[in-house]
Amino acid sequence: MHLVVCAKQIPDPETPPAAFRIDEANNEVIPAQGIPPVLSQFDGMAAEAALRIVEAAGEGKITVISLGQESAQAAIKQVLAMGADEGILLEDEALQGGDSYTTARTLAAAIEHLGDVDAVFCGRQAADWDMGQVGLGIAELLGWPSAIIGKDAKVDDGSMVVERVTGDGFETVSMPMPAVVTISNEIGDPRYPKLQQIMQAARKTVTRLSADELGLDPSTVGDAGARLKLERLFIPVVEGEVELMEGETAEEQAQALAAALREAKIL
Amino acid sequence: MSVSERERNAESPAPEGGRPKRVRLVGAWWGPAVGLSGLGLISAIELGRTDASREVFFNVAQPWAVYVMLAALVGLLVYGFGRHATLWAIGQPTPGILREIPMRVRNAVRLGIGQEKVRRDPYAGIMHFCIFSSIIVLTLVTAQVAIEDDTPLSFLNGWYYLFFSFYGDLFGLIGLIGVGMALYRRYFDDFHRIRWDERIEDHAIIVGLGLILVTGFMVESFRIYTTELHGFVLEDGTQLEAHPDWARWSFVSYVIAEFLNIFSPTQGHMLTAHTWSWWGHVVLAFGWLGLLVFTRLDHMIFAPVNAFFLRTDAPGRLATIENIEEQEVFGVGQIQDFTWKQLFELDACVRCGRCTEVCPADVSGQPLSPMHLIQDLKAHLASVGPDLQNAGHTNGDVRSVSPIEMVGDVIKDETLWACRTCGACMQECPVMIEHVPTIVDMRRYLVMNEARVPAAAQGALENIEMRGHPWRGTMLTRESWMEGFDDVPIFDGSQEYLYWVGCSGSLVERNMPITQSVFRLLRESGASFGVLGQEETCNGDPARRLGNEYLYQILAMQLVETFKAKNVQKVITNCPHCFNTFRNEYPQFDGHFEVLHHTEFLQQALDDGSLQPRHSVGTSVTYHDSCYLGRMNGVYDAPRQIIEVLPGVDLTEMWRSQSRGLCCGAGGGNMWQEEIGERRVNHVRTEEAVGTGADEVISNCPFCIQMFEDGAPAIQPDEEGRIRPFDVAELLERSVFGTENGS
Repeated sequence: MHLVVCAKQIPDPETPPAAFRIDEANNEVIPAQGIPPVLSQFDGMAAEAALRIVEAAGEGKITVISLGQESAQAAIKQVLAMGADEGILLEDEALQGGDSYTTARTLAAAIEHLGDVDAVFCGRQAADWDMGQVGLGIAELLGWPSAIIGKDAKVDDGSMVVERVTGDGFETVSMPMPAVVTISNEIGDPRYPKLQQIMQAARKTVTRLSADELGLDPSTVGDAGARLKLERLFIPVVEGEVELMEGETAEEQAQALAAALREAKIL
Repeated sequence: MSVSERERNAESPAPEGGRPKRVRLVGAWWGPAVGLSGLGLISAIELGRTDASREVFFNVAQPWAVYVMLAALVGLLVYGFGRHATLWAIGQPTPGILREIPMRVRNAVRLGIGQEKVRRDPYAGIMHFCIFSSIIVLTLVTAQVAIEDDTPLSFLNGWYYLFFSFYGDLFGLIGLIGVGMALYRRYFDDFHRIRWDERIEDHAIIVGLGLILVTGFMVESFRIYTTELHGFVLEDGTQLEAHPDWARWSFVSYVIAEFLNIFSPTQGHMLTAHTWSWWGHVVLAFGWLGLLVFTRLDHMIFAPVNAFFLRTDAPGRLATIENIEEQEVFGVGQIQDFTWKQLFELDACVRCGRCTEVCPADVSGQPLSPMHLIQDLKAHLASVGPDLQNAGHTNGDVRSVSPIEMVGDVIKDETLWACRTCGACMQECPVMIEHVPTIVDMRRYLVMNEARVPAAAQGALENIEMRGHPWRGTMLTRESWMEGFDDVPIFDGSQEYLYWVGCSGSLVERNMPITQSVFRLLRESGASFGVLGQEETCNGDPARRLGNEYLYQILAMQLVETFKAKNVQKVITNCPHCFNTFRNEYPQFDGHFEVLHHTEFLQQALDDGSLQPRHSVGTSVTYHDSCYLGRMNGVYDAPRQIIEVLPGVDLTEMWRSQSRGLCCGAGGGNMWQEEIGERRVNHVRTEEAVGTGADEVISNCPFCIQMFEDGAPAIQPDEEGRIRPFDVAELLERSVFGTENGS
């Protein structure tokens, strides 16, 4: 069994608000000084789901793929330390930027390049832009079935059985393999790697693939191939006003409050 | 398991495979046999000399039997301790155990023979000193008798004999007082720590010792009655001269002998009674000494030896795993992974329960009792040790010998996580066991080898790894506290001191005012200092205490490099944990800096007049010693000296303070763990602070302050009159600047 985990490195979502800055002119997030990027938390959970399947089966290989820059090696190493076997970094000038579509297209090409993949695990969404498109996009491009927002997955008699989180509970779906699964935080915290694994992961070499090697036309990927255009990036200004209700007694204050709320058409 | 849990579980059957089998001294026969075989010579000589030794062995028909027993005892001791030693030998080498010999000898004398720690419980101190001195003196008394008998030397006569009789009786009496105190404590006092793990041997030891002393006095008084008091009548009818003037020197036996006059026994009756009591005394004495091998009586030897082995460096320093990347096993997962010194320590434990009595986890009904942890390890060593030795000799797979996991089965994960590394157990242990390194060694195995970490602690560790601080989800940056100050100097190597704010001092909202107070006071004092701001990063302390030595080493090595590159010479820390790490642990990575906690610096500034406490504060306070400033580094006085010079501050101590202070509950990475158990440690400690009636509880540690902030509303739900926690710096600031509540 060969499983693929897609892992994205993102700006730390726990960046303190005071340190979060954007470049409004260029519609870009300015990387916060001294706060290194991290593995998108849902992708760690996707790795956890894949590892559980391999452990339950007693055999299997997990390849972690990341589309990004050199620094994304850290995200790959993190998943390798958890127990994944191989890492692939899709690093190429032509692949940078882009949108959910080009990302799905690039990842799908890499999965096809690997050839014998039985299932792909993604986080339910990347924790920076929160689009939630890439997993479904990969499935669509590969023509595979998919189940999204899973809290657990297992392979049963050649089928991928996914326990999905729904608005009012859970549902279990089964689909033929190969398939794409996206994993949600309901699965719980990803495992803590053993030191032995961390050191093994550190020694592993990460394979690099370019657009050319994946057989991708540069005009269809990265910024060039993006279909989504970012119009404006800004930090919304949240303003609050406090008005203290006048009144001698609590009752008078309550009456004044009710009147004010009615005036504001809230009541 | 905590003591209370154990009591609850006492009725239910032992869990499967729970208690390892007790050590059995199979084959112990050859020990005494070896000793006995060397006996022919001695007994041959003795048989030829029985006439000459008549006075020493008065009224004793077969005195050579004593030497048979002595030989058997020596054989048994050699065998028994040899067996112990082979078990210790399965441990790993103990680095540096023979360094600093003079200090080690001092420890053996001061702590081992001088019993400094035993006296921390005054009742036990007196009791133990009585018994200890009595055994030493009476052994010397017996040895003198043997020398008198077995060598050409003769000195037990004249004045020395009378003095000898006097001190023999005196220390016999002192011994009986000690035994009486021990019996009272064990059977009549409403006192339970020594009964937490009571075994038959405990009764045998104390009752046996009592009987030895009692029979000793019986022997002596019967002899005195027939000889010195009444004049011995020889078989031919001659009566020897009576010497009541000699008898009075043996003042205890003399009183008994006089008392026997009431019954007017005949000389024949007395001689029979003397014979029986003599044999009883001798058999009991040898039997009792034989307990050295089987029971905790071995502490007579192991305690001073363990004092010799006691670490000579700072108690707050954990050992480094050298060449960590080349290890096959990280930390201690099986008994043979401990050092031999750690295994030796297990045998030194006397089950007195002092460690458990002061353990913050056990005090709060949480699943850790240091005494039981040591005893469980000891039983496990006895259970699997011999098989391990065999596997080792035959080149077998040592790691697969034991069917049960030491970490996980014998010592539960939650037991290891409940430790605060506060050092209270080590502070109290009268036989100098070092529990904390042993616990952290097993944590290292859990974290690095097995990756079994409680979720919250894992979060903290991952956060340190990813973000360089343990405060997951903080909204603050390392420069947030500087807002409103335009004159915070950044350290550039030209200043005298680096003011190390620390993660808690900058990233936790409650601690920002403390950092600001320290900053204002440093500025006021005119000190030359700077801060690192965004360049600060976790120094690794929580990672090390939580067992991730690898992460700690990476962080420590990086920071040592940073400090060197920035020409840091002197550091003032906000946090006692940073203080301990820089001061005691960074030298392991070639980082040698002069480290001060802010309370030490501020105390000096008050002393040399660069800070003036001008304003009366008008408050009553109690002072809480943080473990890593107090117990681990011995800084008890500087913070108190600050508090004492402040006008209008009334200091009341808690019933547990200074070296006996109770941990706030956050130590050992428990700041980032869910507590399991009956109570929270910080609630217990807050209760103790509230008990003083003080308005404020003053501490010196950001973790302690947070724990009190959390504990106060739980203990005093009513906000009116609730105790308020402040740092020493916040209190001092009020007096220096005259501001209210440090604002």
